[in-house]
Amino acid sequence: MWRLLHVLAIGALVATAVYVYSVKYQTIYASEQIVKTRHLIAKERDAINILRAEYAFLTRPDRLQALADKQLDMQPLSLHQIVKASELPEPAAKIDSIGAKLEAMGLSATPSPGVTGATPSTR
Amino acid sequence: MTEEPMTADPTPAAGKKGVRLSRVELPWKNIDLSWKGLRGVASDLIRTRLDKSGGRIRLLMLGLFAAYIGIGAKLVLLGLSHDQPLTLKVAADQAASGARPDLLDRNGEILATDVKTMSVFAEPRRIIDKDEAVELITAVLPDIDAKDLRARLGSRKGFVWVKRQVTEKEQREIFHLGLPGVGFFPENKRVYPNGPVGAHVVGFVDKDNIGIAGMEKYLDNQSLTDPHVAGFSIDPDSLKPVRLSLDLRVTHALRDELAAGLTRFRAKAGAGAIIDVNTGEIIALESLPDFDPNDPPDMTKDPTRINRINVGVYEMGSTFKALSIAMALDSGKVNLGSHVDARDSMRYGRFTIHDFHATHRVLSVPEVFTHSSNIGTARMALMVGVEGHQAFLRKMGQLDRLRTELPESAEPLVPKHWGELNTMTIAFGQGLNVAPIQALMAVAALVNGGNLMAPTFLTRTEEQAQAVSHRVVSAQTSESMRYLMRANATHGSAGFANIPGYYVGGKTGTADKIVHGHYSQDRVFTTFMAAVPADKPKYLYMVLYDEPQGLPEDGGYHTAAHNAGRVTGKLIERVEPLIGVAPVQEFPTQPFPLLARLGFGLDADRVSKE
Repeated sequence: MWRLLHVLAIGALVATAVYVYSVKYQTIYASEQIVKTRHLIAKERDAINILRAEYAFLTRPDRLQALADKQLDMQPLSLHQIVKASELPEPAAKIDSIGAKLEAMGLSATPSPGVTGATPSTR
Repeated sequence: MTEEPMTADPTPAAGKKGVRLSRVELPWKNIDLSWKGLRGVASDLIRTRLDKSGGRIRLLMLGLFAAYIGIGAKLVLLGLSHDQPLTLKVAADQAASGARPDLLDRNGEILATDVKTMSVFAEPRRIIDKDEAVELITAVLPDIDAKDLRARLGSRKGFVWVKRQVTEKEQREIFHLGLPGVGFFPENKRVYPNGPVGAHVVGFVDKDNIGIAGMEKYLDNQSLTDPHVAGFSIDPDSLKPVRLSLDLRVTHALRDELAAGLTRFRAKAGAGAIIDVNTGEIIALESLPDFDPNDPPDMTKDPTRINRINVGVYEMGSTFKALSIAMALDSGKVNLGSHVDARDSMRYGRFTIHDFHATHRVLSVPEVFTHSSNIGTARMALMVGVEGHQAFLRKMGQLDRLRTELPESAEPLVPKHWGELNTMTIAFGQGLNVAPIQALMAVAALVNGGNLMAPTFLTRTEEQAQAVSHRVVSAQTSESMRYLMRANATHGSAGFANIPGYYVGGKTGTADKIVHGHYSQDRVFTTFMAAVPADKPKYLYMVLYDEPQGLPEDGGYHTAAHNAGRVTGKLIERVEPLIGVAPVQEFPTQPFPLLARLGFGLDADRVSKE
């Protein structure tokens, strides 16, 4: 009886030790992973910073201007290019060409009252 | 303590003198090798007999006391000594460039940022063959002076830089040399992606990333790098980017137009600034010739590259007439309907004041402004008097050094004895040298409704600006000045800047430069200021040129209208759409309501020369 209890106790002890050991090593592994990931993050951050600086360098205004002058035919905005909405010419009256054809064929283009459809209204 | 009891007596009675002595004679012969005997020996060895060992205890105490005194003294010495032996990490940290916050423009574009680079260092004490190391390193890094490197490696320091900020390829090659005692340390390198654009405001740093000029130095003065000096390295993530008031695109446009004008008019130098008159923010500032902050020049050797807006002091010429006329109007001595006699040149002692565009008639106040009449302005200043003139200019911040965030500033040159003649000449811009940024601040106050505020290079809201501003002229005077500047654009000297679609108001200023103590005829300093839009100004433009030449197509004129004025016009046309202001077809029907009630200012938009 006592012997069995002893064996059980020892077994439990060994099992706990193994468990603690494995947990400890998992922790160490995890913390190493964290350090590694932190380094990776720092590296990525530095890389992002360099890319940002490079982007800023490549999009600096004098370079863009030189490129635009060479590649694009652009001119400064001037007053005569701007008009008010009210100064736009009146749109020409719409021509209902399909309706005209229908009429020529002897059919009425005007929809019968009560019927709604996608027929364009003629003005 | 050397006379340890050598007794091997197994019995408890061994302490008695007689017995002990008899045994001591030949102790190794009397050792009892039985278990019990040996145990007795051991217990005797560790037994202290207080009655007998008083002397030894005292000796022990003395010894320990001496030891503690020694430790204490060493601690004090360590504390006092400055040359602490450093660990490599600490040494590298202290020598390496600290992180700095990014500098952004008002739209978030990068003006300055940190990039991680590797630097090569050496620990001379750990290098075995120094000559071989020098040979190998100089083979990989040919730009290093071998003699200098040998001297550095020969020093007794624990840490020396071999080369700062090497490229990746160089780093790899050095690494493959496999030299013991040579290593790499990451450092921050400051880069300015826009090069010279805005360089005078941004400033630059030295090799250790310490701010030397401009906003970079301002940041350091805000104790941003103090922790680094104290030996802590700063976590780059904790640094918040600093947003400046500059607009990168506008600054570039300003630099571009200025440079074009500089070549066209073959001027010695040019400078310009754009200020938001309601907040005092400097949107753009350029001074040519400038420099690349990535490769900063030695300013003490090359003073032509100074920031002329902040550091140069100049006689601002006719631009100052705006201040004089505002003073006269604000004092109530004259109004827009008053007339001033400008029929003859004005004599004062042996001096005579002439008009550049002499009209020889009685001028109204607006005419004094649009004809830029020296005589008229001098007469108006005399109405206010010397005391009043001084008080007004002091109120406008023209007589004291103007300090902004930029560490660079200049003291205005004020005449020591300020008599009536001085008031007359200063009224039209001669005899008082101020930094252009001071004049810019004053004119901004004249057109923004009368509130003077110190210009800033950091972003600021209108409310914050209101809190630091104070009223210097009445709202009506401010409106009069806007009207005068507008009138000057439509039928005065500022016509070249009157860009269609923008309600521009402007003032020219051409000052003869003093050469060998006399005002020179052919060397001039020209300035131009323009407020846009003149009825409710948002931005004030200033452009100035030092010694521009007249061009044959301009009739050989080198006056401000032809150079600074033209450039300002181009600038307005280019910059206004950039900051979201489209040209308009119709101008405000009643731009100057206060003046209209008094019956003035209705002719501002009448385009005709008198």
